[in-house]
Amino acid sequence: MARYGMALDYKNCINCKACEVACKEENGVLLGADKHRIWVGQNEVKGEWPLLDIASAAFLPSQCQHCDDAPCQEVCPTHATYYDENHVVRVNSDKCILCSYCMNACPYDARYVDDRTMTVDKCTFCSDTRLARGETTTACQNTCPTKVRIFGDLDDPNSEISEVLRTREHFSLKSHLGTKPKLFYLT
Amino acid sequence: MEVEISRRKFLQGTVAMSVVGATALSTTNLLSNEHGHAGTKGHAPKSITTKTGTGKAENIPFLCGICVNKCAGFARVEDGVVTKLNPNPYFPKSRNMLCARGNAGIQTMYDPDRLKYPMIRIGQRGDGKFKRVTWDEAYEAILNGTDKFKGLKQILDEEKDNRATIGYCNGEGLSKEGFEVLVGEKIGTPNYVDEISICLETTLGGYVNTIGTYGEADLNNADYLIIAGANRAEAIITPDTMDLFKRSKGRGLKTIVLDPRFTNTSAKADRWYAINPGTDLAFVLALTYVVMNENLYDNDFLTKHGVGFEDYKNHILSKKYTPEWAEKITNIPAKEIYKTAREFMAARSPIYYQGRRSVFSKNDFQLRRAMAIFQALSGNLDKKGGIVYGKKLALPKEEINVPMYAQVEPRFDGKGIAIPAGKTGSWIQFRNMVLDGTAPYPVRAMLMRKHNPMSGVPNAKKTEAFLKKMDLNVMIDILPSDTTMFCDVILPEASYLERTSPVATYGGLEPAIVMRKQAAKPLFETREPEVIYKELAEKLSKPLWEITKKYDEDVQDDTDGMSEAEIEEYYEENGFNLADAWEKPVYEANKEMVEAKFGEEAWKTLDEKGVYYPDMDKYHKQLNPNEFQYYPENKKNYTTQGDKLKVTINFKNLAKKGIDPMPAWKDEWNFSVPEGQFRLVTGRHAQFTQSGTTNNLMLRDLIPTNYIWINKRVAEQKNIAFGDMVEVKSNIGAVKIKAYPTEKIAPNQIFMLHGFGGSSEEMEIAYGNGANDALIIEDKIEPVYGAAVMHETNVEIRKV
Repeated sequence: MARYGMALDYKNCINCKACEVACKEENGVLLGADKHRIWVGQNEVKGEWPLLDIASAAFLPSQCQHCDDAPCQEVCPTHATYYDENHVVRVNSDKCILCSYCMNACPYDARYVDDRTMTVDKCTFCSDTRLARGETTTACQNTCPTKVRIFGDLDDPNSEISEVLRTREHFSLKSHLGTKPKLFYLT
Repeated sequence: MEVEISRRKFLQGTVAMSVVGATALSTTNLLSNEHGHAGTKGHAPKSITTKTGTGKAENIPFLCGICVNKCAGFARVEDGVVTKLNPNPYFPKSRNMLCARGNAGIQTMYDPDRLKYPMIRIGQRGDGKFKRVTWDEAYEAILNGTDKFKGLKQILDEEKDNRATIGYCNGEGLSKEGFEVLVGEKIGTPNYVDEISICLETTLGGYVNTIGTYGEADLNNADYLIIAGANRAEAIITPDTMDLFKRSKGRGLKTIVLDPRFTNTSAKADRWYAINPGTDLAFVLALTYVVMNENLYDNDFLTKHGVGFEDYKNHILSKKYTPEWAEKITNIPAKEIYKTAREFMAARSPIYYQGRRSVFSKNDFQLRRAMAIFQALSGNLDKKGGIVYGKKLALPKEEINVPMYAQVEPRFDGKGIAIPAGKTGSWIQFRNMVLDGTAPYPVRAMLMRKHNPMSGVPNAKKTEAFLKKMDLNVMIDILPSDTTMFCDVILPEASYLERTSPVATYGGLEPAIVMRKQAAKPLFETREPEVIYKELAEKLSKPLWEITKKYDEDVQDDTDGMSEAEIEEYYEENGFNLADAWEKPVYEANKEMVEAKFGEEAWKTLDEKGVYYPDMDKYHKQLNPNEFQYYPENKKNYTTQGDKLKVTINFKNLAKKGIDPMPAWKDEWNFSVPEGQFRLVTGRHAQFTQSGTTNNLMLRDLIPTNYIWINKRVAEQKNIAFGDMVEVKSNIGAVKIKAYPTEKIAPNQIFMLHGFGGSSEEMEIAYGNGANDALIIEDKIEPVYGAAVMHETNVEIRKV
């Protein structure tokens, strides 16, 4: 029993996409740019050459925010989307009827359709692969060259993530929607 | 785009497969249509990605082979299939990480297009018609040829045992040296070319000739960084990439980036200067001017370690390399140059990053000298936070019994080059002299391994003509590359996850030795490179010895009057037995060597963890979920040179070779592009390793193709929109490529990623995808080493 979350030291991110590949290989995710459980957002830089606004070209890693108050879970008519014992937002593919309400409800665009099962899929924090084997990191965290990600138990005051969130300023994405994300971006 | 492809094709040989958006499958003889593989030892997974299981698995230490870095990992193997590659937390160089390419290495191993069996050519050169043969038949064809091509025996007989008529080339990697032993030392030709002369030769040469090493930038402890023309966010070098970007963006390492285009590295900079291509030297000279003029240098350090400092000071000041002068050349405002020079010298631990990369311009050797000297002006060498020399754990040198051939002629490609590299040569000069007939004797065969000059060497048309001119081309590789398609005999190699490699040593602040272990059995009929070297050597040895005896007067004198048995003894004693360099399998040889040098415990550690260094059990510990300590702070090799340290500023001997003894600017290097044309710049990114990974399904997913970057405003004038096809034409050729209008590049420049536009129809994903820059980059060389210069080609573009 834990309450898993992730802190992202996003200024470290160089958009190398190691996390995306590690995620796909670990979890057997289908290929295709529309089949990413995690991704890195990048905007075209603002300004005119050579006067470019460097700050406008920041990289923002994103994925399912594992909201404590998840709109996707709320709208699911079959209870296919559920919280597991570690507060991770999961999808039971046996119950999913692909009504796609959850995909529309998610403010973070974090869900996609797995063409093999024709059900909705998303980040699981590697719950049924690495964590199920007793490992303590997700594939994306472990492989990251610049160590953007810190995964851990928010309920454990001694965990690295709890320590980091106590000592460093951070923000959440679209916090005004009241979704209470468990992903935290460190400033 | 639908890109999920069944593994069926891989398992059943050539089966039609469709990829939306890619070219249709060609019918082929290459992979043959045979079903079932009696020789298969390993087996492939059923789907492209495999969800890792929760049951039994092995974790085998490996060293990544997808690029030059050799990061360490553990391969998760379930039921004989590699399902995941994870980073290895014991190796100080790669610091517990694998990049996108490293993670996607599984897809290279299980690439459906892999070379599966030995093959020999049965059609015309380049038409792709091959037949599957046994390994022995393939070796036999290299020795004796077929009705389609000549073998080594006939060639060497006709050339009277002049071994130099055999050329060879090689790609980097842990099995590189073995191929050099086989062809260079044992078969005995001096005509070798490799990636050095199309890569970082002037960088290494410039630094080694100035401060005695290329060194390691201690980016964990530096506080100011100038990084020019090196794109560490996209051309990943470990540990530099990891160390740098954890501290950029106002977190301790002020980062000044110079690059003609706005890269992902520029996106992490405090300041980015859009420097004109090929003018970095003017920038460094102007920085130096400010430092000399304002006496900002470390006088004590230079007095102690500098050779010719006063000469250089006078030279820089008298030439008036002022920031105002440099502004006109570089496109960087003079006030920014003043500011950067002053900040650099005021910083506690400043680094002008050495920046390994291809040679871009003809002045690159002098640029590297100027950079190394500028670093020395700060005194920040051989100390924490500076450029450090480090230490290396020495491995015993393997004794090779090298035969001497009297008939072999020297190499010729140093003609007109100031300091010809003895071993690695000049790819362009070698190829061009063979092609235009100015070589003093014919080169008639190319023995090649893991090297794709059709993509890597500028002017691919000449490379094609060069390959077609040969009597015999042999390739050892894992994929049917563009170059492979021009070969006569193809030997399929086991990929890096399928083989144990010779132990390697990595020096620096935190030195270690590392070993790659075989994670899975070689697929199909592929064999480990060292097995191929040995078997080929066994096949060639006696027949080539007969030719030596026929023509080699030294051997004839030596063996005159000897009995058969004595001649046999002579053959063995003098290294003419080509196979004697591979007596033990790699794993056994590693074990013996490591146990002898470091002890049995060291071997156990290396065998289990893939990494070893003295006191690793005491030093190595996990600091937090993401970070490890490899060496304690007081054991890191920050300072190793002391009084030995010498900075050669005025290098008088260079003048004897016609090279400026101190870096100076020549007006012919000023940047200019004729009206209506563009300067072509090329480069890399974090999801591809040149042409070596263009057939990797996972990586193709991340970067579907290469685009031509063109300034947005220029594109608008030319009515070119994103995705429009444009023709890019230089003096030597033209390619078609899709456009990406962006403000990240200057109006008179264009950029394209290197490595795309494959011409081998046997590489389904790579074939015809994007454009090959080697078709349009002109084959120019710099004067010091004869290395290829990549950024001196102007092009025209038009929408098609």
